[in-house]
Amino acid sequence: MNWRLAALRNGFQDATAYRLEFLFEVLGSAFVPAAIQWVLWYAMFKIGGAHEIAGMNYSDMVQYTLVSLLFTQIRGGDHDFELQEMIRTGQLSNYLLRPVSVVEFVYIRGMAPKLLIAGVCLTLGMSVGLFFGMSPVRIMGAMLMALIGNVLHYQIGAALSTTAFLWEEAYSFLMVKNMLVSLLSGELIPLNLFPKNMQWMWKITPFYLYVFGPTQYALGHWTHTYFLEQLAWSCVWLAAGWAFIKFTWSLGMGRYLSHGG
Amino acid sequence: MKLVQYARIYGIQVKNNWVREAVYRVNFLTAMATDVIWIGVELLLFTVIYANVPVLAGWTKPQVYFFLGIFFSSDALFTTFFQRNFWNFSDLVNKGELDILLTKPVHPLFLALSRWINITAIFNIALGLGIAIQFANPAGFAGGWKWLLVAAWLLIGMTTQILLRFAFSIWVFWTERSWAISRLYYQFFQFATKPDTMYPKAIRYLILTALPFAFISSIPARALLHGLKWSEYANVGGVLLAFFFLNAILWQTGLRRYQSASS
Repeated sequence: MNWRLAALRNGFQDATAYRLEFLFEVLGSAFVPAAIQWVLWYAMFKIGGAHEIAGMNYSDMVQYTLVSLLFTQIRGGDHDFELQEMIRTGQLSNYLLRPVSVVEFVYIRGMAPKLLIAGVCLTLGMSVGLFFGMSPVRIMGAMLMALIGNVLHYQIGAALSTTAFLWEEAYSFLMVKNMLVSLLSGELIPLNLFPKNMQWMWKITPFYLYVFGPTQYALGHWTHTYFLEQLAWSCVWLAAGWAFIKFTWSLGMGRYLSHGG
Repeated sequence: MKLVQYARIYGIQVKNNWVREAVYRVNFLTAMATDVIWIGVELLLFTVIYANVPVLAGWTKPQVYFFLGIFFSSDALFTTFFQRNFWNFSDLVNKGELDILLTKPVHPLFLALSRWINITAIFNIALGLGIAIQFANPAGFAGGWKWLLVAAWLLIGMTTQILLRFAFSIWVFWTERSWAISRLYYQFFQFATKPDTMYPKAIRYLILTALPFAFISSIPARALLHGLKWSEYANVGGVLLAFFFLNAILWQTGLRRYQSASS
């Protein structure tokens, strides 16, 4: 347990050592995607004169954008890139000699700044949400789902990073995953805008649990029962992700040739 | 004479990069696949949007696809020849590697910005142009000799990216680590992925002046499809010149501040 706390503390220190960088990152990742979303709604409703699209009017869309901001901050993280870099450069060898799981260690250290942001978003969501009639219980539930989404995202990334054992680089695979996530998580547009014949695209991945799911629940568009059902699904995905990591890492370690000194 | 010398150096850089890329063949292929998926995601976003509305801020679906074709080609040009160099620019300064470049008998910026070439991205130039050609007719592009203008606008788009990326990277002389500012650049870069007429007035003004991301593909696509007013052409020239001089001043000031970190 001690090493986990130490890794978390290490991650906090790393994030706060470059405070200006950290602030830039948070601001950039929060407001630019929101501005892009708003631009689309502006073009559709204000310039295009539409009144309702996929059952949502302009204010519904703006509300979705604002609430989704709380969860887009928690999704993702680049620690899977760190794993692939360790494999590629042979740095992984340093970790294999230690009595800690390298996959877990990298996650905990990388998760620290996300936890900090999650705390801020939760406080902000619960306090500001009160003025707009949003239930604090729903926001807490939604944040829980977003945090599970963060773990899932890492699990997929950690498994994909093992392709670096085969081809020395997993960068491209991780980039592809991030691109798909940006659209299929609901960060760019609410997923109910997908036409019926294209809905399967986001339903077959767990990515909707990162942003779309939490936002729908926080806004009261999902019932408690449906939310619990989706939470159960996220646990199933977690178990599958864990098995996926075990499988890919055991395969990868069998092929590992350290280049480190 | 000087030009020949620069061309020879660049030729050697291209050869070195080709050898490096050829060694990692799988990476070459996966990087190409990544780009195809990125293009697919962007196209999918607009496919979803156009499934709900017939016209978006005066742009029909084929016109937006034509715009995306120009955008992909223009961005791929920058990615091929400059992107990696900008990612490594921060290291040049904070690891003191700039020292070596400053001692060479060619301009240090030429070496700093031409060392890494991403040959994989050349494929994207063709892919983007393919998309533009595919949708040119339904988008209302006149074609013929105007395809020559496409090449000119792609160069303007690439120049815009170089000047903007430089303006974001140069702060490493003051901040020591420019990773977050680089990320911020890519956040703002999202503004280039949509036609400028979609934006509200304030943002539109911003991306046509202080942060001219609209010059990467939106202005080129508009110019090719409908033509621009003379004031808009003047704006493009004026803003790019202003950025060029601003960057030159920042570079000189930054160099004066630079303290080698190497031993």
